[in-house]
Amino acid sequence: MPAIEVVLYSGAIGLSIIGLTGLLLLNNVFRMLLALVILESGVNLLLILSGFRLAGVAPVILPEQLSNLSAIVMNDPVPQALVLTAIVIGVGVQALGLAMILRIKAQYGTLNMLKIREQLEFDLAVQSGVATPVSAHSPVSLASGRERQLSNHKDEQ
Amino acid sequence: MDNIVLLVVLPLLAAFLMPVVARSSEVVARTLGLSVLFISIGIILNVWSQSGQIDSQAVSIVIGGFLPPLGINFYVDQISLFFALAVPVMVLLFWPWHRATSIREYSLMMLLTASASGLILSGDLFNIYVFYELLGIASYSLVAIQGRVSAVAASFRYLLMGSVGSVMMLLGIAIIYTQTGTLNLAHLSLLAPEKLNNMLGLASFALILTGMGVKAELFPVNSWVPEVYGSVSSNLAALMAGLLSKLAVIVIVRLLILLFPQPEALQLMGMLGILGVLTGELVAWRSRDFVRMLSFSSIGQLGLIFLAFSIPGEMGMMAGIAIALHHMLVKPALFMLATGWRGAVENLSGVARRSPFVVLLFIVLILSLLGIPPLPGFWAKYLLMVGLSSQDGFIYTLGMIIVPLAMVIEMAYLFKIVMIMYRKDNDEPAVNNSNIVDDSNIVDDSNIKVVQKHSKWGLAIAASVAAMLIAIVLQLQPASDKLLSLANQLSDRNYYISTVFPQIHTVRMQSIK
Repeated sequence: MPAIEVVLYSGAIGLSIIGLTGLLLLNNVFRMLLALVILESGVNLLLILSGFRLAGVAPVILPEQLSNLSAIVMNDPVPQALVLTAIVIGVGVQALGLAMILRIKAQYGTLNMLKIREQLEFDLAVQSGVATPVSAHSPVSLASGRERQLSNHKDEQ
Repeated sequence: MDNIVLLVVLPLLAAFLMPVVARSSEVVARTLGLSVLFISIGIILNVWSQSGQIDSQAVSIVIGGFLPPLGINFYVDQISLFFALAVPVMVLLFWPWHRATSIREYSLMMLLTASASGLILSGDLFNIYVFYELLGIASYSLVAIQGRVSAVAASFRYLLMGSVGSVMMLLGIAIIYTQTGTLNLAHLSLLAPEKLNNMLGLASFALILTGMGVKAELFPVNSWVPEVYGSVSSNLAALMAGLLSKLAVIVIVRLLILLFPQPEALQLMGMLGILGVLTGELVAWRSRDFVRMLSFSSIGQLGLIFLAFSIPGEMGMMAGIAIALHHMLVKPALFMLATGWRGAVENLSGVARRSPFVVLLFIVLILSLLGIPPLPGFWAKYLLMVGLSSQDGFIYTLGMIIVPLAMVIEMAYLFKIVMIMYRKDNDEPAVNNSNIVDDSNIVDDSNIKVVQKHSKWGLAIAASVAAMLIAIVLQLQPASDKLLSLANQLSDRNYYISTVFPQIHTVRMQSIK
């Protein structure tokens, strides 16, 4: 395997591993989203590489090449088309995720995944009437912090 | 027959045109949007009545004039046509009629319809990925648009999990493509026995299973289920639990049959199914709130479906389809009943005296969910047990133990609810709800009241489901014949290949034999 391909493959796999590790270890939702972006680029690069030929040219057949088609090495266009689609979808999902992060930050006042999850569980319990806002099990500090947040939010409006 | 393509095209067009049309006239936009759903139903019924042979003969619809494997195609057989019909029908049934919807929500529902139909009809691996992503985006946004912050937070966690899943799926597709050089399902299925019957093939199956499994509530990737179902309206929860999870399951099963012949793939799926049954039912048993209980029981039921599909041969296929269809009927009906019973189960005491008819409906539904003869749920579980007992192997023996155990747990928590409902003292609700915080972001505040009235529409759906269950019991013989022919068609690889490639069919069949 030529050196350049080794570099490219290790880059793709390295990016994927960085992204996965980030998703597993990080606790800040914005960084988690960035880790997702890195993971996606790693996988996209891997997909591109599957159709990559070192000596390949763009997969366009010119009229004068028709006579000796077998002599031309071409890159495989299918993975490139796939990656193009995957990138577009990825950007859409990331934008949606960012919009959600903005809403969450405005209401819960935190980007910490653990705290968001705790608050979410608490909200669900309150909505369904299983817990009361002031029960012994409720994260009182969180709840009061949230109410402060809410009132701040109202003041701003 | 080519009209089938409109099932995807029309809702997709409506989804993107509706916000534009709404700028000049909102009424026109809304009418056009809804009429698309009725047109879709009309097209399918027309296909069904015109070509009675769809029962015996599947059709491959070539799009754009390029023949597969170069072009892309839709594959229409009994099961995909059935699910393509179920999509617009269920979207209409669980449309949020009871409140004013914004035009955005409208257009997202259309996107959901288009991508769900595309997912089930598509005969191309990459199209499946694209439709799956579209379905994901539509469902994340529909959850987030419900108004409450908790819905946004739940939706974000769902989005993270779903996106990681779909990246995994893309990786799986990349592996398959490097091994075979094609993405057409029928072509892949021709090449699979020699090129995917190895460790790499198994790895790509595991990756795709992780990706699709997010929607199908598969065991390790289902932590979004209780959060999302708990924070959205019952209509959306019913649609997601009833329809979307089944679509993902059917696509996984189709890929499994066509692409992955190795028995290890089946065992992997069976093992995850067993774990799903155990965790889902145990947590449902522990949960104190009705909707949460239903969500976890849905995870358990999906685990049963995966376990059933992991049994090789016709019996497993029949059992899987039976449990899937049964769950698709019963779980949305239960979610519709839950609109009136949101909140802690302790609050339900004395409900039976106030609304005896609704409780009776509930009992019929849960008896069928549990599998009490002679209701259809019993026959589905019976098929599963017969299928499991005909196999040897650790997974299937374990399944033989786990399935009855799960039934006992299910019975424990469902009968506990029934007992609470028939309890006399409803003067003192066990949990005091009077001081619920007022959230400024509630759009749909009907959900926050803990015990409220059922909507007439929801009750009508639940009642008709119960009537359908009884009708199936009375027509057991035709129903099981139909099930057998569905299972036969779904499990026949060579039939799929010969439908898509009629010309090379004979040559290849000889070489395979």
